[in-house]
Amino acid sequence: MDDVLWYVLASSRGGPTRVRILRALEERPRNANQLATDLEFDYTTIRHHLNVLMENNVVRRTDDDYAAVYLFTEQVRSNWDTVETVLEAVDPDSEAR
Amino acid sequence: MSALFTIAWVAAAVNVVLLAALGWVWVQGYRRHGASHTLGLLVFASLLLVQNGVWLYFYRLHEGYIGWFVNAGVDVQVGMVLLCGLETVALAFLVRITWS
Repeated sequence: MDDVLWYVLASSRGGPTRVRILRALEERPRNANQLATDLEFDYTTIRHHLNVLMENNVVRRTDDDYAAVYLFTEQVRSNWDTVETVLEAVDPDSEAR
Repeated sequence: MSALFTIAWVAAAVNVVLLAALGWVWVQGYRRHGASHTLGLLVFASLLLVQNGVWLYFYRLHEGYIGWFVNAGVDVQVGMVLLCGLETVALAFLVRITWS
């Protein structure tokens, strides 16, 4: 899981955007539309990054509905220390809790 | 000049392009956050870039090497193609996940 998090968040082109998505989801679960509005990104951009995060088992959808909310997977929850380390390295200015 | 020779040098040239793209993403990332993971990838890309630069030099400019390749048996030629060609395939996968 460590290498996946480092790669997806720190060493790929969409890393900074995905870090912002994780921060937003950490604050509270949201659906893709809310993420797009709150982070001021295109809906399709947000969906693309959410798909990458889902393919890598970082987030999951509550169901298949249009308004499905995104949550962290069990794998990420049990590796939360690593997530904190990566988020802190990539985006130290943001509030890490 | 044989088709295998052309495939070999084109593969080396494509590798240089793919590594430049990967290196660009990793340089940006490393300058932004300085993570050792990203630095590791950057070192990896730099060394492979040198490697493929050397291949390209041999294939395009080194008379002695070109002569050796052309006169080598098909088994050797195929082997040389695989060295650069398989690397191209591997790098293409890496570019795909890095560019997403």
